[in-house]
Amino acid sequence: MDLKQLMKKDFIILDGAMGTMLQAKGMKMGETPEALNIEKADWLIDIHRQYVEAGADIIYANTFGANRYKLAKCGYSVERTVKAAISNARKACEGTDVLVALDIGPIGQMLEPTGTLTFEEAYDIFKELVLAGSGADVMVFETMTDLYELKAAVLAARENSSLPIMCTMTFEENMRTFTGCDISSMCLTLEGLGVDALGVNCSLGPKELYPVVEQICRWTTLPVIVKPNAGLPDPVTDLYDCTPEEFSAYAEKLVPLGVKFIGGCCGTNPEYIVRLKEMLKDKKYVQRKVNISAACCSSSNTVVIDQPRIIGERINPTGKKRFKEALLTGDIDYILGQAVEQLQAGADILDVNVGLPSIDEKAVMVRTVKALQGVCSAPLQIDSTIPEVLEAALRVYSGKPIVNSVNGEEKSLSTVLPLVKKYGAAVVGLTLDENGIPKTCEERFAIAKRILDRAIEYGIRKEDVYIDCLTLTASAEQENVMETVKAVERVKNELGLKTVLGVSNISFGLPNRELVNRSFLMMCLSKGLDLPIMNPNMESMTGTVRAYKLLTNIDRNSADFIACYAGSGDIAVKKTEKKKDMDLASAIENGLKKEGAELTAKLLESEDPMTVVNEMLVPALDKAGEEFEKGKIFLPQLIQTAGTAQACFEVIKQKILSSGQKSVSKGKIILATVKGDIHDIGKNIVKVLLENYGYDVIDLGKDVDYQTVVDCAIENDVHLVGLSALMTTTLVSMENTVKLLRENNVDCKIMVGGAVVTPEYARQIGADYYSKDAKQSVDIAKEVFGN
Amino acid sequence: MTAGKIKKINRGEALRYMGYGGNKPDEKISQLIDECEKMLLEVIRPRFIYKIFDISVGTDRVYVDGCTLVLEGKDITAHLNGCTKCALFAATLSFDADMVIRRLEAEDMTKAVITDFLASAAVEQVCDGVDEIVKEQMTGYFQTWRFSPGYGDLPIAVQKDFLAALDAPKRIGLNVTEDNILTPRKSVTAVIGLSENEISKGRRGCAICSVRDVCQYRKRGEHCGS
Repeated sequence: MDLKQLMKKDFIILDGAMGTMLQAKGMKMGETPEALNIEKADWLIDIHRQYVEAGADIIYANTFGANRYKLAKCGYSVERTVKAAISNARKACEGTDVLVALDIGPIGQMLEPTGTLTFEEAYDIFKELVLAGSGADVMVFETMTDLYELKAAVLAARENSSLPIMCTMTFEENMRTFTGCDISSMCLTLEGLGVDALGVNCSLGPKELYPVVEQICRWTTLPVIVKPNAGLPDPVTDLYDCTPEEFSAYAEKLVPLGVKFIGGCCGTNPEYIVRLKEMLKDKKYVQRKVNISAACCSSSNTVVIDQPRIIGERINPTGKKRFKEALLTGDIDYILGQAVEQLQAGADILDVNVGLPSIDEKAVMVRTVKALQGVCSAPLQIDSTIPEVLEAALRVYSGKPIVNSVNGEEKSLSTVLPLVKKYGAAVVGLTLDENGIPKTCEERFAIAKRILDRAIEYGIRKEDVYIDCLTLTASAEQENVMETVKAVERVKNELGLKTVLGVSNISFGLPNRELVNRSFLMMCLSKGLDLPIMNPNMESMTGTVRAYKLLTNIDRNSADFIACYAGSGDIAVKKTEKKKDMDLASAIENGLKKEGAELTAKLLESEDPMTVVNEMLVPALDKAGEEFEKGKIFLPQLIQTAGTAQACFEVIKQKILSSGQKSVSKGKIILATVKGDIHDIGKNIVKVLLENYGYDVIDLGKDVDYQTVVDCAIENDVHLVGLSALMTTTLVSMENTVKLLRENNVDCKIMVGGAVVTPEYARQIGADYYSKDAKQSVDIAKEVFGN
Repeated sequence: MTAGKIKKINRGEALRYMGYGGNKPDEKISQLIDECEKMLLEVIRPRFIYKIFDISVGTDRVYVDGCTLVLEGKDITAHLNGCTKCALFAATLSFDADMVIRRLEAEDMTKAVITDFLASAAVEQVCDGVDEIVKEQMTGYFQTWRFSPGYGDLPIAVQKDFLAALDAPKRIGLNVTEDNILTPRKSVTAVIGLSENEISKGRRGCAICSVRDVCQYRKRGEHCGS
């Protein structure tokens, strides 16, 4: 018997709780249940046998926490534990057709950026488990709350085993997991990754899970698994409130939704499974008819392409000197800032392109994708011409992204489409091929058709192919503008595909580009453009999409439109009034970013950038610093001042970059929150302040390896390193980092700070400076660099 | 377990964390604090879990019955002296607090810092709520103040076992890193001693605090607890 054969049955009955049964046998809270596979094999065989006798078709081996992290306490190896567990389960089903599942739960540590475990480490941990469990009939990942961790698990399973994969996550009453994953995102992502069945376990009782199961059944074509708790636990006694009778009565209501696998989780026992089996005896599986719409998602947000959705184009270095510089210096915060700005302006999806000849595009792409998904929930569109870069990003993306792009060339089709299929993404197909961009609508349509056919051959759903009919510039090829518009219409209507189009190119080389852009955008939208790739920060562009949605009755009752624009006239008036008679110093003092930036731009028309920095920005910051020291202003105001100065500094940077001058750097400084520590807000405050005084800060982030600091200091010839630690437990990492810097004879001064650091400790570990706050770090930098 | 929603964050406490002491923030910062508070309260989903255990207090450690947890150190032993039971609890503001603070760091550092402090105050409020619930449930018992791993000489390395005793990763999504930092970050674990006899009103003292030498409150002659 295997899962495929088992699937012919109407329902597949799973077992009930393991932990509950082990506790009943005398296991203590906090004990490692998996150690009992070896120490109390008879307990396990007995429990498994009870479930087999109760009627389970699949029993879960006692391997839920058999990963190297959780097993560390008991000293048994993963391999030994897992093999013992599977052997116990096998013994219990001797003489039956019951299948044994390798059961895998969460690792027990959160992944970055909230935790310190990397995606790659998580993959390794799961891989070890998967290899050890090759003797099972099926793999189950359950009680998962983080889609990112689950993705690492599924990839580890698919790449190291041929066993079928079942996945269940744990949802709360608000229909999300602890880490915010929602049901549609789970379903889209897991089905895309090619798992065999998915669903929900643990969480709540069968009654409370009804809406969750209902949603799951709507969002997947795969067989659905439900393994609820025995109701809700009493906070005092820890006992669950659902009897076996009630449990099966509520479970019965889930059957019409189209559930295939049913079992029990916490609080259940063989009695519950007996009741389930009885209840299912005469029932027929309800075949679901589901149509999953075109959609992409992050782990917490699904964007359904059922109306125009804006893809923000700003994360792209093409033609942007400041962005290029950020890529070259590894300034990830700048990129994150671009993301947040676009989302606030109205982008639904963000295109991510970090292609620059002189950088390691793969590494930068992975870093950028990881950072972006840590701060924003909008789905990403991975944009690169290099297949390895696409694949690296697809691996670490937690959700279902869009790949930008494939084209009609055979080489492109045969390298990109397999990646799209393997990682379950959607894909943008460009209507060009080895002969370039065809002039006519007909030719582009033909390429679109070819791309679609090939995608389907690879097993990619039609809904996941979005066609880009390509915008040509009106100034160069005016006669062909309408060919693009016509092609959009045909692809949409005749092929039934979603369409995507970068619109801004249309106006290249023309005056009043904005007018041309938004007119073109409106034309395309009205012919069926679904996904304009554009600059959402341009109010006229985003406004055009909003107006389109209003006029086509997509924005019902004009609710979004009114929410966006009602009263906006008044605000504009107020702001202009405020701006009168303001100088840069008072703008900074009052935390007025926009005004500060405008005033800076004005000053730069007549003044030298360095003069503005030294005579305007620095004195304003000095004043704030002094007042902070005297207790006249407090931390939030100090940071506000610095933040405003930063906005001014940004303008200066742009100006310098565009004039080709050398930067205004007063010196390079490395900042890092030490290995193991994840509290980095203090370090980030220091960074803002230092940057505003004109220092180039290389921010290595948090949880930074000792060696990384050393390598970076040597590579970039840095003479001041700032280390921060906030926990007593991570102080030792600070000491080790200092030690390694000294051992390698790095020619640098070291300043340390953070809540638990003392001047004595700083001296003791051999640091050159103790910095009590952000202000003092500036004083130290001035001293070190003599400026 | 989901806590009753926090309606208002203790502003005085949050301002104290921001270093205001007795001073008032200016109008602009006050507005920012209002804005950040509103946003934070919208996204967080505070959760907690607690359990009452019988304990046996030894000479330098406390055994928690029915689980593998042992609380080591003279400070926790002294703290629980005379207690026959304890409440172990864990509270978290949820993953969403981490996410919003990270996003704000990319958007506006001032808001990020304010929100970070507000979140610290909020998680303390969740803890106060648990204190009250334990009080209601354990009538006839006197309660000690909350004692957390890492405080005094109770090793912070106990976090993993502490969470396991409460099944906290599964029940409220609270985990710990290899360096014993709780994740999500705005989280607290603590033990409350329960005694049938009155407990000498020992204030949360600086004497055994691990950060006493660098504590900003202490430098200003203030105190972190109430």
